Amino acid sequence: MMSQRRGIHLDQSELLCKKGCGFYGNTGWQGLCSKCWREENQREKQKQIQEDWALAERLQREEEEAYASRHQKTQSQPAVTPFSKFEERKTKEKSSKVNTVTKFFSPSIKTPPKKDAAPFDPHSSPSPSSSASRPSVDSDHATREFIDFLKPLKSGREVFKQCRAFTESMVYKREMGADELSECVQDFYQNLSERLQTQFKGSSDQVETVMDEVEKYMMTRLYKEVFCPETTDDEKKDLAIQKRIRALHWVTIEMLCVPVDEEIPEVSDSVVKAITDVIEMDSKRVPKAKLGCITRCSKHIFNAIKVSKKEAASADDFLPTLIYIVLKANPPRLQSNIQYITRFCNPSRLMTGEDGYYFTNLCCAVAFIEKLDGQSLNLTSEEFELYMSGQASPHWPQSAGASSSSPGSAALTQVHKGLDLLTGLGERQERVMEKARQLESDLIDWTDEVEQKVQSVLESFTPEAQNPAAATAGGTAPAPSGASAIDSDNVENELLPPPLQPQVFAG
Amino acid sequence: MSAMRVDAKVVMLGKESVGKTSLVERYVHHRFLVGPYQNTIGAAFVAKPIQVGDKVITLGIWDTAGSERYEAMSRIYYRGARAAIVCYDLTDSSSFERARFWVKELQNCEEHCKIYLCGTKSDLILGDKNLRQIDYHDTQDFAEEIGAQHFETSSKTGNNVDELFQKVAEDYNNAAFQYMTEEKGVDLGLKKDSYFYSCCHNN
Ligand SMILES: Nc1nc2c(ncn2[C@@H]2O[C@H](COP(=O)(O)OP(=O)(O)O)[C@@H](O)[C@H]2O)c(=O)[nH]1
Ligand SMILES: [Mg+2]
Ligand SMILES: [Zn+2]
Repeated sequence: MMSQRRGIHLDQSELLCKKGCGFYGNTGWQGLCSKCWREENQREKQKQIQEDWALAERLQREEEEAYASRHQKTQSQPAVTPFSKFEERKTKEKSSKVNTVTKFFSPSIKTPPKKDAAPFDPHSSPSPSSSASRPSVDSDHATREFIDFLKPLKSGREVFKQCRAFTESMVYKREMGADELSECVQDFYQNLSERLQTQFKGSSDQVETVMDEVEKYMMTRLYKEVFCPETTDDEKKDLAIQKRIRALHWVTIEMLCVPVDEEIPEVSDSVVKAITDVIEMDSKRVPKAKLGCITRCSKHIFNAIKVSKKEAASADDFLPTLIYIVLKANPPRLQSNIQYITRFCNPSRLMTGEDGYYFTNLCCAVAFIEKLDGQSLNLTSEEFELYMSGQASPHWPQSAGASSSSPGSAALTQVHKGLDLLTGLGERQERVMEKARQLESDLIDWTDEVEQKVQSVLESFTPEAQNPAAATAGGTAPAPSGASAIDSDNVENELLPPPLQPQVFAG
Repeated sequence: MSAMRVDAKVVMLGKESVGKTSLVERYVHHRFLVGPYQNTIGAAFVAKPIQVGDKVITLGIWDTAGSERYEAMSRIYYRGARAAIVCYDLTDSSSFERARFWVKELQNCEEHCKIYLCGTKSDLILGDKNLRQIDYHDTQDFAEEIGAQHFETSSKTGNNVDELFQKVAEDYNNAAFQYMTEEKGVDLGLKKDSYFYSCCHNN
């Protein structure tokens, strides 16, 4: 049993926290686990946190003031013109945003909010004064949805103010490292959900629903700043794993022991859907939505296994199949997405729930792919190297000479190797040529097809009463049969005025 | 697709084919399937609501891939777990050595995770006492030493299975209650800072 054992035999110590606490470390945290990383940075952070809190408080005070003054002025002051508003915003951007928003929570508003009503939207008028934090149309939409969601809640206004102030304060922290940003956001999530539970007496389900909306609002607004930030090497890692997956293109279902039979149409359909879903993850902004893609991908995988094996899939089937799907999909910005979800998703969702389970498996799949070697695929390391370097492929076995190098002579071995390489290259060139020929003939087919289409379009536009003679008149028309060139002779043409002639003006 | 809210993460750990999947299958679906495919029955993740007093606790039960080829990554799995059911086969002493390994791992890395030692396939030794390779009392001593609970179950007959998961849910409920009152005490002391109160291991 043990002899069949395969696995990625990575050194545990590589993965563990540098402090030796036994947790997994993370290169992003200088090789420490989250706990040690926190401790390591606690003092520094405490100061930062105090400052943040002061800032948040200041913003809140400004809001209150702005809200109060707005209330006094409501009757006398009609709509502000975009221009004067612009001036105002230059100095008091924060408070002017709040004005429009707080209106919604005040009972004096009678008309319900129109979904795309511009006046509500504090950011729609062009405002060059805003920093990179200027929310896009998407985040305006998110703000509106968030407010709509919170309106019926007793504590809605309070929650919105907190979230808004916090989100604004994050903009001043762009210089901060990604993990510190993550920690701020996580602390905020935790604190808010605790308060929702204790102060506002929300049930666990209610709190979770509110927290989902909080995450959606905040992360839609912060996405651009905190996804794959420049302060990290996320992008480098993205490229590395992408390259790695491309180099592993030759890995087969059998090597991974994936219990999926793609000959069955429903299975191959599920496989395609799973691939699509995991690729789609990159297009989502909110961590929860990204997780949703992973979960959908996983459900398709379970279906593929179920149909193949004619019974429900277990954890033992799922992980290898997920690895296979990730290899086939090579999802864009895979590491960035994993990091982003880890940093900014609601922790309870990530740690305990079903989404978290699939996400954890995805993390394992990526770790497996990164460390994978010949043994993990039941190959000799020679085979693995050959496949990795493209000199051989499990689909087209290497040339006959490969294994028969004469024992004594190292030089001969060298020659053999060279020959093998040449054969390999020759075969590859052959395939390239084949593809090129295919492309050429495809192009020709395509040209013909386009020509035919043009012709049929022209035909459909030919006036019924057209003079049949017209067809033959245009000798240069590409298609002879009954088609009419645009410039062909036509009786009506005689009624048209003569064409304009260019005139020369004396300079 | 709104998934069920889950209160606590429970991971199934143990050597390959000790009966982790069967245990979940028996508990959640009240069945034990025999046949050539029996080790592949059951879902990988199950959310299971359990009545504890007048409350309902939802356990998220995480089954793990048993193959040793993924063992290096299993820590990613049990991170943040509130309970771990460490399984060993009562008829296979080597599986108990693996169980000891998991216990050590958990003690080092997940201080909030309660450990449940679970000897599986008790129906087999009921039929033939000589098959037993793991002494009940030795294990009981070990469990007390490490502050763990100890069960012997059979997924085939269902013996002790409900009791095991019920205990997991009850312990979680008690711990959560205790935890909340502890938190209150901290809050009173550090009112100002409580806004940013932080701890990474207490979700
Ligand atoms: N007699 C008996 N067999 C069991 C019991 N639990 C599991 N098995 C068998 O042990 C094998 C492995 O079980 P499985 O649940 O797949 O183990 P896993 O690898 O830990 O998930 C299967 O053949 C099961 O039928 C049990 O309580 N009694
Ligand atoms: Mg299993
Ligand atoms: Zn550590």
